[in-house]
Amino acid sequence: MIHDAQMDYYGTRLATCSSDRSVKIFDVRNGGQILIADLRGHEGPVWQVAWAHPMYGNILASCSYDRKVIIWKEENGTWEKTHEHTGHDSSVNSVCWAPHDYGLILACGSSDGAISLLTYTGEGQWEVKKINNAHTIGCNAVSWAPAVVPGSLIDQPSGQKPNYIKKFASGGCDNLIKLWKEEEDGQWKEEQKLEAHSDWVRDVAWAPSIGLPTSTIASCSQDGRVFIWTCDDTSGNTWSPKLLHKFNDVVWHVSWSITANILAVSGGDNKVTLWKESVDGQWVCISDVNKGQGSVSASVTEGQQNEQ
Amino acid sequence: MKLKEVDRTAMQAWSPTQNHPIYLATGTSAQQLDATFSTSASLEIFELDLSDPSLDMKSCATFSSSHRYHKLIWGPHKMDPKGNVSGVLIAGGENGNIILYDPSKIIAGDKEVVIAQNDKHTGPVRALDVNIFQTNLVASGANESEIYIWDLNNFATPMTPGAKTQPPEDISCIAWNRQVQHILASASPSGRATVWDLRKNEPIIKVSDHSNRMHCSGLAWHPDVATQMVLASEDDRLPVVQMWDLRFASSPLRVLENHARGILAIAWSMADPELLLSCGKDAKILCSNPNTGEVLYELPTNTQWCFDIQWCPRNPAVLSAASFDGRISVYSIMGGSADGLRQKQADKLSSSFGNLDPFGTGQPLPPLQIPQQTAQHNIVLPLKKPPKWIRRPVGASFSFGGKLVTFENVKIQSQQGAEQQQQQHHVFISQVVTEKEFLSRSDQLQQVVQSQGFVSYCQKKIDASQTEFEKHVWSFLKVNFEDDSRGKYLELLGYRKEDLGKKIALALNKVDGPEVCIKEGKQESEFLPSAGGTFNISISGDIDGLITQALLTGNFESAVDLCLHDNRMADAIILAIAGGQELLAQTQKKYFAKSQSKITRLITAVVMKNWKEIVESCDLKNWREALAAVLTYAKPDEFSALCDLLGTRLESEGDSLLQTQACLCYICAGNVEKLVACWTKAQDGSNPLSLQDLIEKVVILRKAVQLTQAMDTNTVGVLLAEKMSQYANLLAAQGSIAAALAFLPENTNQPNIVQLRDRLCRAQGQPVPGQESPKIPYERQQLPKGRPGPMAGHTQMPRVPAQQYYPHVRIAPTVTTWSNKTPTALPSHPPAASPSDTQGENPPPPGFIMHGNVNPNTATAQLPTSPGHMHTQVPPYPQPQRPQNGWNDPPALNRVPKKKKMPENFMPPVPITSPIMNPLGDPQSQMLPQQPSAPVPLSSQASFPQPHLAGGQTFHGIQQPLGQPGMPSSFSKPNIEGAPGAPIGNTIQHVQSLPTEKITKKPIPDEHLILKTTFEDLIQRCLSSATDPQTKRKLDDASKRLEFLYDKLREQTLSPTIINGLHSIARSIESRNYSEGLTIHTHIVSTSNFSETSAFMPVLKVVLTQANKLGV
Repeated sequence: MIHDAQMDYYGTRLATCSSDRSVKIFDVRNGGQILIADLRGHEGPVWQVAWAHPMYGNILASCSYDRKVIIWKEENGTWEKTHEHTGHDSSVNSVCWAPHDYGLILACGSSDGAISLLTYTGEGQWEVKKINNAHTIGCNAVSWAPAVVPGSLIDQPSGQKPNYIKKFASGGCDNLIKLWKEEEDGQWKEEQKLEAHSDWVRDVAWAPSIGLPTSTIASCSQDGRVFIWTCDDTSGNTWSPKLLHKFNDVVWHVSWSITANILAVSGGDNKVTLWKESVDGQWVCISDVNKGQGSVSASVTEGQQNEQ
Repeated sequence: MKLKEVDRTAMQAWSPTQNHPIYLATGTSAQQLDATFSTSASLEIFELDLSDPSLDMKSCATFSSSHRYHKLIWGPHKMDPKGNVSGVLIAGGENGNIILYDPSKIIAGDKEVVIAQNDKHTGPVRALDVNIFQTNLVASGANESEIYIWDLNNFATPMTPGAKTQPPEDISCIAWNRQVQHILASASPSGRATVWDLRKNEPIIKVSDHSNRMHCSGLAWHPDVATQMVLASEDDRLPVVQMWDLRFASSPLRVLENHARGILAIAWSMADPELLLSCGKDAKILCSNPNTGEVLYELPTNTQWCFDIQWCPRNPAVLSAASFDGRISVYSIMGGSADGLRQKQADKLSSSFGNLDPFGTGQPLPPLQIPQQTAQHNIVLPLKKPPKWIRRPVGASFSFGGKLVTFENVKIQSQQGAEQQQQQHHVFISQVVTEKEFLSRSDQLQQVVQSQGFVSYCQKKIDASQTEFEKHVWSFLKVNFEDDSRGKYLELLGYRKEDLGKKIALALNKVDGPEVCIKEGKQESEFLPSAGGTFNISISGDIDGLITQALLTGNFESAVDLCLHDNRMADAIILAIAGGQELLAQTQKKYFAKSQSKITRLITAVVMKNWKEIVESCDLKNWREALAAVLTYAKPDEFSALCDLLGTRLESEGDSLLQTQACLCYICAGNVEKLVACWTKAQDGSNPLSLQDLIEKVVILRKAVQLTQAMDTNTVGVLLAEKMSQYANLLAAQGSIAAALAFLPENTNQPNIVQLRDRLCRAQGQPVPGQESPKIPYERQQLPKGRPGPMAGHTQMPRVPAQQYYPHVRIAPTVTTWSNKTPTALPSHPPAASPSDTQGENPPPPGFIMHGNVNPNTATAQLPTSPGHMHTQVPPYPQPQRPQNGWNDPPALNRVPKKKKMPENFMPPVPITSPIMNPLGDPQSQMLPQQPSAPVPLSSQASFPQPHLAGGQTFHGIQQPLGQPGMPSSFSKPNIEGAPGAPIGNTIQHVQSLPTEKITKKPIPDEHLILKTTFEDLIQRCLSSATDPQTKRKLDDASKRLEFLYDKLREQTLSPTIINGLHSIARSIESRNYSEGLTIHTHIVSTSNFSETSAFMPVLKVVLTQANKLGV
């Protein structure tokens, strides 16, 4: 059973992970599918994979029910385990790399309720920070905010290292979405609690920045609801939810397009729908993606299959 | 992991699934007396608040009851749709009574909380269950084989499922089937279970293993499989859970023997049929998979027995257990660390003790050494097997290029259920296209750029324009590609030469018509005397006299002054002309200073050629007129600046209408950057189509500027670069990677663009430009090398198989129809003509080579040194051996080597590049130039179409005219006379020839004399062999117009580049290689300043073409 499939930064490689404890990497350029690597190292189902930004090399993180996070790296065309994080007491459900501007930082959310942050400090060392009791009975998802320098939308003059404020969102079994912010002393602090879901938050996705001052987060839940949270004020404290849709089944996953204007929503009924905000601010479904079967209005083509 | 606890000896019931928040109801247990032997009883409701990390449960309500309970359930009957607290609490009492409570009233603190009560049963009611299909139906069981079916809507009269079983026995358990609504099962301590069909109103099957040792304490139906159920036994001699399938009711399907002593309660998870909880007299709480018998989890508990255990319906990871030590505990089966909770307890402790010296002994307590055992308990491992609810079955993630990766796990339903082998797993990669119009317009634009059909494109746009302004903009753009562009601009501004001529003629006829005759008559009469006889030269003291005196003494200056003083303007001017250039100028100045007429300033500007003045100070309402004047008079070198200036003024004006008009000025000026700025100000650029609007104009204008001004259009300003990259991003998001690449500005170091280019290139499966490129988009970061040794991933045979797969890759239909049209999107076809192609029939695409292990020699030189990017891998591959490397390469890689390969007689060309236009040019056009220039030692790589090469830049100029052999006129004409910036027609000539002095021609320098002789000789040869008069006329004309060249040679004003080029042409004429001459010609034209060459180069081309045609 496949639990995640993610393309790399360029869209040329596909990483999948599965109940069979494997992580697989395929070359999918030009519509082909060539198995490049079958990574073994987890001792339980692997829930999620995440590609690091290519400026750090070809690096993939995976997390598993076996309580481990493994960071894999391609060296000489060979994929190897480069780090194993065993700091969680329960299933690690989500991994997400921070914007590359911050360095190599991985956030991991676990069923033990904690979120850990792995920061690469050089020479093979990873520093671990842990937020305990982030979500009681478990954190299901983590998603980083895009790298935006506070107070300015434009990059600061070169040479000067921009003073980023690092933030990420997490969702958990306490039905909450929490926003975390790194304090000046490097500690992570809960900045905000977003309450609207009445059941487990299954996924959160912070929308990529498109140069507007608005921050946007999508969340989905066991309760079938998908909310779009927006924050217009510069302090980042006032978030208002808008119900995108109430589905009849659990919604497992939300994903923003790179241009942040389309949201893909995948639900328990094996259906994937695409949503777009209309001019008047309403979210409309622009397509049901019937995988590999052509499409409706927003055309979707070329299905391809990997038998696993 | 324990989440919460409540100190109660009580039966428990979770609120139904629909309820939010989650409540737990407890009712004092009838079976137990607590330590106080109190006989009071209560019904309480607690809220499960998981955001509170403490172990306490929040009590919401307590209701003192006169009853103690054997069973408590919470049904969703009549719950309001919002899921606010409601439903019904159904309690089984000690004396055959069933009581219905309203939980919302309990929480509200009402006194009257009982909905209904019925004591029809005999003895304690130990078994209760709500039908999940019809939640108003409740089954109850008590002593004497009594089973009743209650309708909560009609509570007074219960039904029976059929005749009582014999012999009479207690009913300890009762359960509705989870799949079929009219099936009910009951069980008794005797070990027998009975299945009832309510439609038949009779028992349909009896289940018993005949061991007589089953002492049923629990009964549960399979959540998914209708015919399966489990029975648990309380008997210490047979502490088992039996799994039965009614289809094989002779013996249990499976027996779970995990408890050492009798089982007191079981609970089957509705969320995951592989999780069955059981608690027993061995003080264990186990979670097993009833389908396999495997124990998945043992809850860490105290040593007390639990008599009741329940899954939380809403939160599948949560369960509650009631133990005989008077406590209800809420656990999570997901494991986790209890550190946080323990901390809370410690805090509680220390708050009770106050400080570390609680007893005032003067000595603080020694630090507590936590025993090893406890430490181990801190971490509670989760279930061995992940529960179903955390196994994500479906997902869809966007990736670069508008691709959507989706996966699903379609379960093929099998009778046995939950057999994972039956699943099919697919990953799909789909292209999401949402902006079809945007794409088709972008496609059109690219085609136009490719086919150079700008005029018709602009015309189409004009026709389709919705607004007047839009129409204007396109008209202005169109003019750039037409002959006599300045004239056309004027027409667009409403100044049509013919019309004007007519108007003037009309005006003259009207006013002067009759007068002319009179005047003539007058003149005759006036001049008669002077013509024939003498006239009187007055030297009187009046002005006339003074003027006369001045004239007689040759003092023109004074004469003019006098005339001016006397307001005899015409006289003054006439005299000034006679008095020489200097005086004329002075006089003009003085005249203008004096004259106050409305159009004086215009006249001033015309005469003084001071257009800046006009542009700077005209009323902006008259911007059209100002622009018209500039169009008519301005010299090429100041034309753009003037248009710019006017545009800037318009733009800074508050009037939004004028602001938009500034765009027109910028179009005339060919100032792309300002056009973008102005346009962006006026339009909302956020939506794709409006961005498309802008880009269309920009692209066309850039193309025009490139054609007409022969300027380096490749330098891209910040704003334009931003817009272009926005555009490229949009295209990429729609999957048009190739198009995105084509539109991305090339000549910029802006990091975001460089990064985007890198991403696009790689997304296309191309390697990114190699090491020469300064544009390494990211600073590289080092990461530790993977641990060597056995730990390495079990894989890696990518490359060799990769080649096997390669043909398949090519066939794969993933290329969108759109990108099929562009050569770049296609997988690399090995160039047929590549002489050094040694790779065999299927050379791998560049991507494979770049980071592959194909060449073992280079394998060592790879990634380790460049964790960030593969750029550095390029060097190991010697170019000549891998010619195909070149052909899909993006720009920078080839630029340098190519330059080196330019023939020596070329001066380094001014980089005139068009990021947008050329990449997709007809490949043939790029090949052509090399044929004539035999000495050019270009490697084979250059001879393939290189759609995205900036390297193509060097050839850019060459390609252009040759690129459209079918339509030479469309290209060359604007060069001859159409460009803005070129003096047009007589107006300019006139202005320029105002100085009447004859210039004596200097001699042509000796070293360049050869040019003149060669060209003239060639023309003569052509003339002698030309037959038709038209050609002859052309040649004659050419001969005359080449004088411009010779003039420039005399003045020595031509740049060395051009001079050298001309000599090259002369040499090729001498060798009769006219096509080479043409190539060089094109090169010169494309690399030099247009204004420098426009006077003679087109003529030279005509001559060369004719010579080639005539074969002289």
